[in-house]
Amino acid sequence: MGGQGQIVIDRVNHTYRPPRGRPVLALSDISLEIRPREFLALLGPSGCGKSTLLYLIGGFLPIEGGRILVGDKPVAAPGPDRGIVFQHFALFPWKTVRANILYGLERKGLPRQEREKRAQAFIDMVGLRGFEDSYPSQLSGGMKQRAAIARTLAIDPNILLMDEPFGALDAQTRSIMQTELLNIWQRSPKTVVFVTHDVQEAVYLSERVAVMSARPGRIKAIVETKFVDRNPGILRTKQFLEKVDELWDLVHDEAVKAQEAVS
Amino acid sequence: MAGVEHQATLAEAQAEISQDALRRFDDIFRRGAGLFSILVVLVAWEYFARSGKVTAFMLPAFSVVAQRIYTDAVHGDLWLNLGLTMYRALTGFAIAGVAGIVLGAAMSRSRILRWFFDPLISVGFPMPKIAFLPIIILWLGLYDISKISMVVFDAIFPVVTATLAGIASVDKELIWSGRNMGASEREMMWQIMLPAALPQIMTGLQVALPIALIVAIIAEMAMGGYGLGGAMMTASRYANSPGVFAGIVEIAVVGYILIKVMALIRRRLLIWHAEAANH
Amino acid sequence: MTPEAVTKTLVRYLPIVIMAIGWEAIARMNLVDSLALPPLSKVAVAWADLMRDGELVDNGASSLYRGGVGLLLAIAVGGGLGIAMARFRILDMFINPLVELFYPLPKSALIPVTVLWLGFGDGSKILLIFLGCMIPVTIGAYNGARGSDHALIWSARGMGAGSMRMIFDVVLPSALPEILNGIRTALALAFILLVSSELIVSQKGFGYLIGYLGSTGSYEGMYAVVLTVAFLGFAADRIYQLVMQRLLRWRE
Repeated sequence: MGGQGQIVIDRVNHTYRPPRGRPVLALSDISLEIRPREFLALLGPSGCGKSTLLYLIGGFLPIEGGRILVGDKPVAAPGPDRGIVFQHFALFPWKTVRANILYGLERKGLPRQEREKRAQAFIDMVGLRGFEDSYPSQLSGGMKQRAAIARTLAIDPNILLMDEPFGALDAQTRSIMQTELLNIWQRSPKTVVFVTHDVQEAVYLSERVAVMSARPGRIKAIVETKFVDRNPGILRTKQFLEKVDELWDLVHDEAVKAQEAVS
Repeated sequence: MAGVEHQATLAEAQAEISQDALRRFDDIFRRGAGLFSILVVLVAWEYFARSGKVTAFMLPAFSVVAQRIYTDAVHGDLWLNLGLTMYRALTGFAIAGVAGIVLGAAMSRSRILRWFFDPLISVGFPMPKIAFLPIIILWLGLYDISKISMVVFDAIFPVVTATLAGIASVDKELIWSGRNMGASEREMMWQIMLPAALPQIMTGLQVALPIALIVAIIAEMAMGGYGLGGAMMTASRYANSPGVFAGIVEIAVVGYILIKVMALIRRRLLIWHAEAANH
Repeated sequence: MTPEAVTKTLVRYLPIVIMAIGWEAIARMNLVDSLALPPLSKVAVAWADLMRDGELVDNGASSLYRGGVGLLLAIAVGGGLGIAMARFRILDMFINPLVELFYPLPKSALIPVTVLWLGFGDGSKILLIFLGCMIPVTIGAYNGARGSDHALIWSARGMGAGSMRMIFDVVLPSALPEILNGIRTALALAFILLVSSELIVSQKGFGYLIGYLGSTGSYEGMYAVVLTVAFLGFAADRIYQLVMQRLLRWRE
């Protein structure tokens, strides 16, 4: 019996079928259990299928082999219980920041005052006060990602699916956003599945890291990365660096394999 | 030391100011150049017409033509003809716009509709659809409805094509975000896909408008009566050379204004678009 | 063509076959006035008649002659002008404003003036198509020639190529896609201007034939000619596309 926000992935396969060319096995026999309110990272080289796994959990791709249960119910379609944040923000460009955040709240059918209040709360939480009426094209990359996160948090999902959300940001903005994400998560804990290819990011943010192999993706190893504190200070501790090394070794071989497959 | 830095910042500031000034001058120059070229053409026209190298019949002087336009305006003929042509062109355009977007949206959702209409569109696009005018007249008579129908038939193609293309190229992450927020299929179409496709749909509409004008005028020329096209044809039959040239000028001006208005509307509607933000 | 390709094409164009069948059915069942919508079979018969007694061929030849001459002139002069404008700045400065002025003008507005000048015959139609179709070709040639890779031009010049040589060996090939697209637009425009002007005022040609058949109540024949013209316009575009692909293929 799982709680809200528990994810059970049971022997999932996925084949990618391009419109032209041969089908490719993207994921092979993936089994993984994610506990409620756990922060788990999916780490692996490009092309290993980690984003694909995320999309399967989110219900954006059909599950053809195996099954995925979210809180005991099999995944059938996308829904606001699993909020997703994309690397390229996917904000609705014709809506202002506020309108973007309001969109999910409107779909939920909340009364008007409630919607406005909630939207403003999340705008403040991600530090975008004063930019509510700007359009995405007027914002910087970091601001866009804050807006995207606010939009997803506003629908109050049990599970947060994040697809390399800071990958398009410059290094400084990235580290600021990482710490802010941790703060937000610590304040209102949700299950987070965080896809990344950045080892340090994975170790810093998550409690467990699932390392995936090169295509076809399998779970190669699961490593505990829970630290007592989670502030930027730990980035230089010996403990942290050892963990990074450990994971780096695990990932490195796969990254090489992935490169060779392409060339 | 401070002096050198100060100098550098001053130089930068000066460079920036002159960059701005240059840009503004460039804008004015461009607009001025357009105006200038029109003036050149008009002056050349007047000179050439008066030079005696061509008869007044072949090329009436611009002053004569302008006089004719003025007279028409004062007597109300110009407004009557203009109004009629605009009515037919714009009504047809509006119908083609709405129907085109609806059809395009429906086709993007339904495989059967797509299969059915695709060959009709791809065959119909390069056809000189004006050839069907006599058939339309056979069905609907010699009234405005025939002219408007002809306009719709011609103008709907670019709208459907643009709508289809626009919806097909919507970023899949936008669609997924919409589904993530719990939007139903119908909400997806109206709240997400059509707005996302709007830039391309607008382009389709911008192509359709001049087509609507051209077709309305051709239909008027073929069917006679009032309207800019009809009036021009009448002038031609009566060997009224200034009248014919007046018509050309009037149509050119109307065409130009319509294009400019559409561009303005596009800027307004698509104020959020990335290209607009790059100032 | 492989059997799969054939099946695919058949399936793709099936809706047109369905519409043809539907047309026949609706007309025969007298759901609409049989005068306004004669059955497709009768239209086909009328088409055969028109072919047999030469009406269709005569008028068709007349139309195609006018359209062809006008279009070829437009391509030659327009193309040459566009390329010249791209090469010689002085020409560009003078003619560019003219092009910009006439580009948004609905070319059909030129129909009455060509009639005024040259009457009802071939001359006015050829002039109309020449003037109307020149603009897209000029613009295509101009843009294409402008985009000519400077590096290519300079290296050709370095190898001793004279101006004329250069235009043919370097500028023309790299400008080809844009020129060809401009010609495609001109082709469609030529059909439109041809049909419109013949519908409005003419003594020969497709448009004239359509009007004549309509006014004498021979609606089946009228439909036959309309469909013929529509099909020709479509076919011309398709054939041109194939030619275009051929011409552009060796560039890859």
